[in-house]
Amino acid sequence: MLHRRIYQFFIIYLLGLLVLFSVKYLLDLSDYVIPGLEDLAQTFRTVFLRYVSDVVDTISVAVIGQVISVFMAIVVGVLGRQTTWFGSFIKVAAYNVQAYPIVAIAPIIFILFGDGFLSRLLIAAMICYFPILLSVISIMSEPVHDIEHFYRVTGRMRWQLEVKIRAFENLNKLTTVISGSATLAMAGTIVAEFIAANAGIGYSIRIALYQSDLAKILTALFLIGITLSVYQGLLEIAGYLVKKGWASH
Amino acid sequence: MNRHIKKISVFLFLFSICFSLSGIRVSEASETAVYRLKWLFNASVIGDIYADVHGHFKARGLDVTVKEGGPERDAIRELELGYAAFGVASADQVIRALAKGSPVVVIAQLFQINPLQWIYRSENLDVTRVEDLKGKVVGITFGGNDETIMRTLMAKAGLTEKDISVFSVRYDYTPFYQKRVDVWPVYRNSQAPILEKKLGDLGESVAYFNPAAHGVKFVANSVVTSKRMMEEQADVVKNFTSALLQGWEEALELENEEDVLKTLRQFDKDTPPDIMRKQLVITRSLIKPFKDTRIGMIDLEAWQQTEKIMLEQNQIPSPVAVEKVIRKPF
Repeated sequence: MLHRRIYQFFIIYLLGLLVLFSVKYLLDLSDYVIPGLEDLAQTFRTVFLRYVSDVVDTISVAVIGQVISVFMAIVVGVLGRQTTWFGSFIKVAAYNVQAYPIVAIAPIIFILFGDGFLSRLLIAAMICYFPILLSVISIMSEPVHDIEHFYRVTGRMRWQLEVKIRAFENLNKLTTVISGSATLAMAGTIVAEFIAANAGIGYSIRIALYQSDLAKILTALFLIGITLSVYQGLLEIAGYLVKKGWASH
Repeated sequence: MNRHIKKISVFLFLFSICFSLSGIRVSEASETAVYRLKWLFNASVIGDIYADVHGHFKARGLDVTVKEGGPERDAIRELELGYAAFGVASADQVIRALAKGSPVVVIAQLFQINPLQWIYRSENLDVTRVEDLKGKVVGITFGGNDETIMRTLMAKAGLTEKDISVFSVRYDYTPFYQKRVDVWPVYRNSQAPILEKKLGDLGESVAYFNPAAHGVKFVANSVVTSKRMMEEQADVVKNFTSALLQGWEEALELENEEDVLKTLRQFDKDTPPDIMRKQLVITRSLIKPFKDTRIGMIDLEAWQQTEKIMLEQNQIPSPVAVEKVIRKPF
């Protein structure tokens, strides 16, 4: 699972590079527009360690943001799963907040929380929370008639059991949503760093953009991609183990 | 199925390449040209707008489309890709591009004084020497021009990072409003009048720290084109430069001020009229600081100093001999 994620990422990244280099050499563009292989390798060697540390910083914030988001989304999703006023209110709120561009909300967040760790965490959580919430609500509000019917007619259905049944029956979907939300958490953290933070890979990308240094950006993209692939692979393995554990009970 | 996907992928790839190539042909073969600005439409690009609106390009047989710039735009890249025939770029962009082999040529220097300066509250602070920044919180955009300039100023004054507290600047001014930062980098002719008014409304007065007054001349916006354009369509370049500089001359004439502001309002609908007027006055002082200044003139010494600074700060690996790509407009 993990190795597949990694080699698939390598294929995608190399294909991307191939397209860029084809354009570069076909149009005879300078290294300023698209860096050459030598330039890219040199930049990679120069910034590798610093960028690895930046990506580790970013992924740490993203993971914490994602954990908070998943926890909150499950709690709120379970509460809002019924077709009550509260359930519909949560959905409306989620759809609305998702539509707001984070760059417009960011200044308010920075005024309230400064431009350190908390702001990055909050933005990461905001970006990945609502899609998870909507998925959790959608999963939790869909009855599994075949199984639930038995408990309902025998009068043994409780809300905890209902949640367990729906979660178990949709574990694959839940794992996919949680694994996919890692990308959103990472993107959210990078956006936050890009806008204002003083650390992380988003901050380094901002500096590279100021300096029109595409080689640095390509290096950063490689490290972000590989880190995310490993993290998502680990999440999938965790999901598989949880399902296996549940099934054996 | 797989064969179809392969065929479609190859077709799309080739189509995109051909599309890019045709963009270059269209842009450079006819006398239509795209002129990519460095920033959004505001008072700092008034001459560019004025030349277009008042038909100076058309009068010279050119059909020029003036396009807004922005943080994600890079005129030099667009020149190479054929999306633009002319553009505005800062000197550090030009020097970086040269260091990476880009065939860029400078045809005019718009700003004679760099608009990038530092604003501070004048009640608590008086920065007449770089040493006055000692112990202060100084705003710097890491990776930006202001970082390079401030580091050069500090090195000249014998200051190190330990002597000041550096604050990483972002796009909003809250830390400066909240007095968490003492000096904040601003573009003197665009952001500064807005900040000045806001603080003025609160009874606070401001002053500016101008690096040029302390011996650091870091060239700002200049007009650029490609080497190929210069060699193959020298007449177009000449006509474009003349039309553009005529536009700037007229836009900065005092007697044209009302007409200029009216023109500007068509493009910049968000800036209040009083601020816009101030921006125009300041732009005039940066582009034509003296009565006899010829707009567009190249300050070669400042270009060489800019290159030297970038070399000293390892922003370029080796000298680029910037003087070789500068074509004086007169």
